Amino acid sequence: MDQNKTHPDQKYIDGLAANDSVIIEMIYKKFAPKVCMFITNNSGDKDQAQDVIQEILILLFNQAKANKLRLTCPFDAYFFLLCKRRWLNELKKSENQRVTIYEHVVSTNESAQDLIAQTEEFDEKQQLFDTMFQKLGEKCQEVLKLSFSLKTMEEVAAKLNVTYGYVRKKKSLCVGQLTQWIQEAKNFNLLKNK
Amino acid sequence: MNEERYILFDQYLQGELTVDEKSSFEKQLAENPELAAELETFKEMHFQLENKFGIAQEREVFTENLTRISDKYFQKKKPKIVSMRPWYFAAAASAAIMFGLFFFDYKHYPNFEDYNHPESAYFTERGVSEETLKQAEDNFNGKRYAKAVPLFEAILKVNNSEEIKYFYGVSLLQVDKYVKAENVFKELEAGNSVYKEKAKWNRALSKLKQGKYKECEEILQTISQDYEDYDQVEQLLEELN
Repeated sequence: MDQNKTHPDQKYIDGLAANDSVIIEMIYKKFAPKVCMFITNNSGDKDQAQDVIQEILILLFNQAKANKLRLTCPFDAYFFLLCKRRWLNELKKSENQRVTIYEHVVSTNESAQDLIAQTEEFDEKQQLFDTMFQKLGEKCQEVLKLSFSLKTMEEVAAKLNVTYGYVRKKKSLCVGQLTQWIQEAKNFNLLKNK
Repeated sequence: MNEERYILFDQYLQGELTVDEKSSFEKQLAENPELAAELETFKEMHFQLENKFGIAQEREVFTENLTRISDKYFQKKKPKIVSMRPWYFAAAASAAIMFGLFFFDYKHYPNFEDYNHPESAYFTERGVSEETLKQAEDNFNGKRYAKAVPLFEAILKVNNSEEIKYFYGVSLLQVDKYVKAENVFKELEAGNSVYKEKAKWNRALSKLKQGKYKECEEILQTISQDYEDYDQVEQLLEELN
């Protein structure tokens, strides 16, 4: 059994990355009903199902764009479990009301479990990064935004009307600040999990 | 914050250190796992920033498109609710039955129009003039198929994409250019794109529109059950029998 082979369902991932409307519509038609059914059977409504599906598809878009998503299992199981776990987390957040989970046992192979773990890790890292980015000062945010959307640092300097040397140094320090915070968060997690 | 360190990281990653500086820095990295871990995080920040801002525009376009499709799927545009009093309802129902009986036909064949629901096109092709693409899209979505056909032909000369081919085929079918349309669909069927099953369905519709029921049925039977509109296939097969 070769678990490392790319599954033909990779076409859905590639379609999301290419913003292919036909494929996105296909994903909704084929895979959304099961997710809706699960969420509406477990204390949710249709609007919440719509949100969960949309959030997961945006996550997959981001991961695919970062070239970090190679499907080695059917899309069906992978997508359903991601949505399901996202919804169970939502429910946990509003824990006050006790909920009973109704579900059919879904058998999945290890390959799907691994992929789901990867996607969730990608999501967590991105969220942690976003939180830290918001903590940066306005100037830092602006310099980083321009540094990573314009082609050269010369352009960034011209746009901000400062010298090249200044903007280079500022960029290094702002990325450094993020590095420091993330490193601290990582070390903290290591301690916690010891 | 250790400013020197991050400036050094940046210079190292940009390849701006001298040979000596580089080898001394790499020696430090090998000896100091904490420094190495920090450099890894520094690189990861670059990756996150590229992902956040490098594709910000693409992400926005994607999210917009996704929301549109999602709303359509969940039917967010509330249909107008017409309140009907019960007796009106009864009257309307009996009128509908009368109407149905009047047109009831034992030798009833399915109708092309009942199955003809071309989806909307939203193109994002590369290397093609945006204007032509937009015109083709507008004409197609506005059901002005005769106008869309030459535009698709022009686009296909530059960019032979399966998506454009598919919508070209659908337009040809709408304006009764059966032979051309069916050839386009056959080409798509021979490929391995997502349009494969859709092409079969459309070629079956072309036969249906021409009243070639037997051929229509034969094509329908080759469509995979995985096709997302398989319920339509089943319904049409049932009507044909």
